[in-house]
Amino acid sequence: MSAPIVDARALGKVFPMGGGPVHALRDITVQVPAGEYLAIRGPSGCGKSTLLHILGCVDTPTSGALLFDGREVGALPDVARSNLRLRSIGFVFQRFFLLPMLTAAENVEVPQAEAGVPKAERRRRTSELLDYVGLSHRADHRPSQLSGGEAQRVAIARALANKPRLLLADEPTGELDRSNGEHIAELLDRVQADGTTVVVVTHDPSLAERAARRLIMRDGQIEREERGR
Amino acid sequence: MRAFVFAARSLVRQPGRTALGIIGIAAVGALLFDMLLLSRGLVVSFRDLLDSVGFDVRVTATDSPLPAGVRMKDATLAAAAVAELPEVAQVIPMRTASGEIVLPGGRTVAAGFTGMDPSTRRPWTIVSGQDLSPLTTPPAIVINEPLSDAIGLPIGSELTLRAGCDPGRAVSTPRTFRLVGVAQFPFDDEAQNTAVVSRDALREACGDDRDEADMLMVASSGGSAAAVAAIKAKRPDLFPITNEQIVARMQTEGFTYFRQISAVLSTITLIFGFLLITVLLTVSVNQRLAEIAALRALGFSRMRAAADVFVQGALLVGIGGVLAVPLGMALSIWLDRILKAMPGIPAAMHFFVFEPRTLVTHAALLLATTLLASAYPMWLVARLPIASTLRNEVVG
Repeated sequence: MSAPIVDARALGKVFPMGGGPVHALRDITVQVPAGEYLAIRGPSGCGKSTLLHILGCVDTPTSGALLFDGREVGALPDVARSNLRLRSIGFVFQRFFLLPMLTAAENVEVPQAEAGVPKAERRRRTSELLDYVGLSHRADHRPSQLSGGEAQRVAIARALANKPRLLLADEPTGELDRSNGEHIAELLDRVQADGTTVVVVTHDPSLAERAARRLIMRDGQIEREERGR
Repeated sequence: MRAFVFAARSLVRQPGRTALGIIGIAAVGALLFDMLLLSRGLVVSFRDLLDSVGFDVRVTATDSPLPAGVRMKDATLAAAAVAELPEVAQVIPMRTASGEIVLPGGRTVAAGFTGMDPSTRRPWTIVSGQDLSPLTTPPAIVINEPLSDAIGLPIGSELTLRAGCDPGRAVSTPRTFRLVGVAQFPFDDEAQNTAVVSRDALREACGDDRDEADMLMVASSGGSAAAVAAIKAKRPDLFPITNEQIVARMQTEGFTYFRQISAVLSTITLIFGFLLITVLLTVSVNQRLAEIAALRALGFSRMRAAADVFVQGALLVGIGGVLAVPLGMALSIWLDRILKAMPGIPAAMHFFVFEPRTLVTHAALLLATTLLASAYPMWLVARLPIASTLRNEVVG
């Protein structure tokens, strides 16, 4: 087994709410080896998205520690965490969150430009990525001109723009019909097969079944772990 | 992708709101520009007016820089003493009086009269006819265009002047003058009737033999400050003052109302601008919270996300500010006309005067307003919790 790219140790997350604190995560320990395809399942409110956000360094745990590539990231300043997300982590959201004023190609260029990739290199990589997700012919279309499935494929291309080591997807098929969901699932398979570690949060059993390992969560805890496709 | 491109695309995405915002900023910016023009307009215009006359020092009998009713005695002697100074190129005593021109049929036209000796340097400009000449019989008179229109007599005509030279003293016996020319007088307002005759002729018209002057008009030869110092040293009983000193005094006395009005209105305008920009940017940020959270998740730092907001504000204010300048110039011409309709304002004076430094001040104030107005929406973006914003968006 390869070294874990993500090593979460006894993570806890408490949200202070009006009616008293809500324990979203309780003592979660999980390791994600490089190149793995991990799915996180569970009912709504079980804490799976919270766990994904902490693994993706967009949220911090209340207790416990998170190591990314062996480095403790909990105490990193915002700039360093942003840089880590920019260069090592890709995000795919349920609602795509493409920038509506930019074309598909420009959306894919955004993270590369932020990372300082030269323009010519950016263009070449964007073209490759759109080709990879099967949307070369839609490069100049804006998100409003794309179907849900196409928009999510552009979002995946954007997430892969800086060649991240870890791709996190939060309900990537949640807004899509069955056919488009199937296309996205196949694309994520390819991404993982090409060497990127993939962690997916999903309600969709058919998507979760594609992962080599599944964490089933309930009430902020890992209820059980399943392996095998 | 640069923050400028992001901001520009974000603005284009909401064309209606952006257009309204730019128009609002242009309107606010135009008012601000006008207030800046007003804050120094009278001072600049008054200085230009004083300088245009060709005399850079004025000498009076009192500390007042303008004729204030107390006349200088033995004015000819005083003028001769001042003229002897090497720092002085030319001296002309000037006396003023009020009175009326009596027309055939008994109709009278009121006018202000100035008595100045003919010289190479004079504060008026001949429009038609000739200038004053000491050889003319009866004595020569030059009048301004409104008075020429009012009396309707051609150059070469004889006209009768009845002067009132001192308050509370009976109007003197009418005297006959020959109209030799029509001139423009720089300190006249649009409807003012003015005439100029020689000082001796005015003294005769006043019916007295007092050698008095309201003021000595002095042209220095080596700088006005040196001339003032020399005059003070030679005649400590007189009060010489340079054009710059007159302007400075007017700035702290006569023109303070306009400066205060300008300061108050500028402040109010900037507050409106601040509120407008803050509201525009805050609404824009609130509409794009999920988008901003997603960009943060993709690796945009707090600083970068906040910078996008500032650039968006700067772009709005930049375009609005550029449009504000011609709009403000057009508005200032209109406002200048309204204000100049007040009686007693010389036609050559302006309330709104353009100076290059006004543009710099305008830009600096708008930039400072943008910085302040962007602070709150930038703070909103910088402290945006990424995870809960994304979660709320999905739940919403």
